[in-house]
Amino acid sequence: MRPGTPRAHGRDGLAMATLIGTALAACLTACLVVGLAACTPSGAGESRPSPTTSSPAPTPPVTTAPTPAVQVPVAPAQLTAPAATIPPTRLRIDAIEVDMPVTGVGVESNGQMQLPADPAIAGWYEYGPDAAATAGNTVLAAHVDSIDYPIGPLASLRDVSPGTSLTVEAADASTRTYIVESLNYYEKASLPTSDLFARSGPPALVIITCGGPFDSATGHYRDNVVAIARPQ
Amino acid sequence: MRKTAAAGLAVGIIAALGFAMPATASTTANAQLSVLHGIPDTPVDVYVNGELTLDDFQPGDLAGPLELPAGDYEVALTATDAADASAPVLGPATLTLAAGKNYTAAAHLSDGGDPSLKLFENNTATTAAGQGRLTVRHIAAAPAVDILAGGAPVIEDLTNPNESTLDLPVSTVSAAVALAGTTDPVLGPTDVQIQDGVLTIVYAWGSAEDDNLALAVQTVTGLHSNPGGVPSGNAGYLAQRDASTSMFAMAGVGALAIALAAGSAIVVRRRQQAQR
Repeated sequence: MRPGTPRAHGRDGLAMATLIGTALAACLTACLVVGLAACTPSGAGESRPSPTTSSPAPTPPVTTAPTPAVQVPVAPAQLTAPAATIPPTRLRIDAIEVDMPVTGVGVESNGQMQLPADPAIAGWYEYGPDAAATAGNTVLAAHVDSIDYPIGPLASLRDVSPGTSLTVEAADASTRTYIVESLNYYEKASLPTSDLFARSGPPALVIITCGGPFDSATGHYRDNVVAIARPQ
Repeated sequence: MRKTAAAGLAVGIIAALGFAMPATASTTANAQLSVLHGIPDTPVDVYVNGELTLDDFQPGDLAGPLELPAGDYEVALTATDAADASAPVLGPATLTLAAGKNYTAAAHLSDGGDPSLKLFENNTATTAAGQGRLTVRHIAAAPAVDILAGGAPVIEDLTNPNESTLDLPVSTVSAAVALAGTTDPVLGPTDVQIQDGVLTIVYAWGSAEDDNLALAVQTVTGLHSNPGGVPSGNAGYLAQRDASTSMFAMAGVGALAIALAAGSAIVVRRRQQAQR
């Protein structure tokens, strides 16, 4: 951790102006390169094991004698409540001045991930791993912009670099720190959803927003900007 | 205290079939089998291929799931004090398990009250994102029933030993069982949670005549699919800002793109040094 890491902006007026001035030129180049690289889903995650099955809250049988045999789990076939989840409640990425509340979301009727209308609020995919998950990807996403709202905090997600530290606060008042591992652009049509929404495998935090060129005819950006962070 | 120590079904089958199955076997050459005991007041021992596999199996209990090689299995249920499977109270019956499938064998009463064995195949096909699956099975000594959700019939005229399946959005369903054509519950209402990617199987079992109808529930997880995409921007404001920032800069610095790029490189280099 380097709490006092200086940022380029604000240090030098000329440098600032130059930086802004070249933002597009630099971004164009960088985005093209990153975008091309991002089209290859390698490194975005691994394939996951196939579905597993389980009986409702199988309790191990009472073992009255040692036995080398595989025990058959037996349990009353009762209705059991689903395991309680611990929703993430706040996302902070100090390096890019992101500090936003998080709310649970599901899917739209067209199968797309639901998102809070306000770009200042991130959505957590509540059917996937929660804030306390020890396996799989906890997925947060927010609009980069939305009609009638200011541009959202995740507009700067594209500026995050690997190694950046971020924190997620959860409903149980716990806080978890993650380190950004990668930042990639994916054309939306080729977003590797099965990797990004994986419910098993090494735990990760996945942050998704939009980026790349905007198509005013369809009202959509071409790309998703995806940051993957690992628990510290 | 009830003894739930069960003999290893896998071991019984290995002995019976004469080959070893790895403990971690997880291939599509195998089938998954659960066993539900739905015959009231009758604890049993379960023999598979002549080997005791479930000892003192109690009504209302669910055993498994077990991963088993595809093939035929001979199942017999005996009294709990039986020495072997030679005098079954039910069976022997042959269960044929196909590779890659998920089954539940239910010992239950027929609509006339006779002990029966039914092999159900559980529908573990992938569910749409945000949906779960509800299967209702009638294995009770009772006439045809309707399944009510929120008081209204969603499954009608379900008879023993049949099932009906619905895919539903994630929600809590107030489910009840009523005699067909009526809305007065004989079972429930009970809140059933429809979970994303989870198959919830509700069994109506027991006997109407003996007044011991009951619900049993089994869940199978891992059917989920993922959202189709993340439509996380629809205004274009960021793109506009990027464009106007660029225009401003071009005018202000005199459209010297080469100089800008050079300056950028220096700034970036400085920034990298500062961060190092």
